[in-house]
Amino acid sequence: MTALLRYQAALLLRSHRWLPPLMLYAVLLTIGVRPGEPVLDSFGLAAGLLLPVAAWLVRVCVTNEPDAAWDCAAAAAGPWRVHLAGILTALAASLALAAAGTAVVALISDPHGAGGRVAVPLGPAAGAGFVAAASCALLGTAVGALCNRPLLRSTARSVPATVLAVFLVLLPGGSPANAAVTELVSASRSGEVSWPLLPLAVAAVFAAGAAAVACALSSRR
Amino acid sequence: MELRDVGRRYGVRGRWVLRDVGLRVPGGTLLRIEGGNGSGKSTLLRLLAGVDAPSAGRITGRPRTAYVPERFPAALPLTALGYLTRLGRIHGLGRRAADRAARDWLERFGAGRYARTPLRELSKGTTQKVAVAQGLVGAPGLLVLDEAWTGLDGESRRVLDRAVLDRVADGGAVVFVDHDPRRLAGVCQAVHRVEGGRLVPAPAAPGPRVRVEAEGAGPLPDALPGDPDREPLPGAVRLTVAAADSDALLRALLTAAPPWHIRSVTAAPAPEEPHR
Repeated sequence: MTALLRYQAALLLRSHRWLPPLMLYAVLLTIGVRPGEPVLDSFGLAAGLLLPVAAWLVRVCVTNEPDAAWDCAAAAAGPWRVHLAGILTALAASLALAAAGTAVVALISDPHGAGGRVAVPLGPAAGAGFVAAASCALLGTAVGALCNRPLLRSTARSVPATVLAVFLVLLPGGSPANAAVTELVSASRSGEVSWPLLPLAVAAVFAAGAAAVACALSSRR
Repeated sequence: MELRDVGRRYGVRGRWVLRDVGLRVPGGTLLRIEGGNGSGKSTLLRLLAGVDAPSAGRITGRPRTAYVPERFPAALPLTALGYLTRLGRIHGLGRRAADRAARDWLERFGAGRYARTPLRELSKGTTQKVAVAQGLVGAPGLLVLDEAWTGLDGESRRVLDRAVLDRVADGGAVVFVDHDPRRLAGVCQAVHRVEGGRLVPAPAAPGPRVRVEAEGAGPLPDALPGDPDREPLPGAVRLTVAAADSDALLRALLTAAPPWHIRSVTAAPAPEEPHR
């Protein structure tokens, strides 16, 4: 599995196909996050914006190889392992973005709650911001795993399905992504920071389930 | 490895491309698959390679497998050596062993000077050499070759022939499809044909035969590998057998009780194929 992860990581890095999702995230952050705004609100926004980026990274990783090259790796290691390595590589890239985004937001934002009266401790707040971003990265990975090969093969289905799924996961009140972001926003109002661990756990379960389904079907085409 | 009642169709109501395929592929066998265009040969090879899953039936006992696809597009952002080393690592080789095996196979196919060349800059022929080397670098227990010889130059084809025979001699299994009916003719343990979605045995092309002269104290064992033609000589016996079975025949003679003494092993003249 380590060899497969290295192989997938090399393909991702050298193909430069990570650049467009990275640029998207950077642009969305630039538009959405203003310097000097309450830090927890900005963490919430940065986390939510990561979700579509994580889904895109999964698409990049599981379509990175031409079919014949995928076949060669799949014969050697088993199709599901090759597919899982692609999904995990995408998740690792998303988590790196989550850390980078959290660091940028922590640097440029105002360490006060909404309204600017209550001081917010930056360390715990950054922790909460990263947990929320990681939850969104996991959910984005789940969306990407379900909306690309082997479940949806053609671009014409895969991309619209991904966009639709991103909205469905991000906007309704009960979703873990929404819960994580809401927890940050309400913490910003009260000034009491708490880590959104329950949404993180639920997101991890979703991601594991989606990856399991995709990997189980990876030898069917 | 064994396939039992294996079938494959695309889609729940699709036509069966393959049906009721039963096949045993023990270690040390060389197996040729024949069939017309679109007969399902490639589908069968993909099932054997484990790249595709059967819609019906079971495949059990698969060893570590390598697959050389029919067309290998080189749109990977890696060098030839980088790609082969990574595939070697995926096959379970250590870092040094993978590097050594990758360099070694590039050299054997005469592509050593392209080790540092990015795959997308390679010529079609050199790309095919990388595709084939990819299948050999991990010394797999099962090697599946889908027209792997196509696109290779004459010398590389001979290197691949020899590599296939080495794999088989090492106890690995090799299954291949090739449009040239003379490809490894006479050394295949079996030839099968895909016809109407079924796998049927096909007559093997007559290949080189080997003549073994042996002398022994006891009677010849009844069942000898390859069912050799027997011809009594003064104080000895001459056995003529397909070259594919000659190793097994020698082993049977040498391990018989009491053991037989091998006087000579020579290539038998093959009247139906004068010069090869």
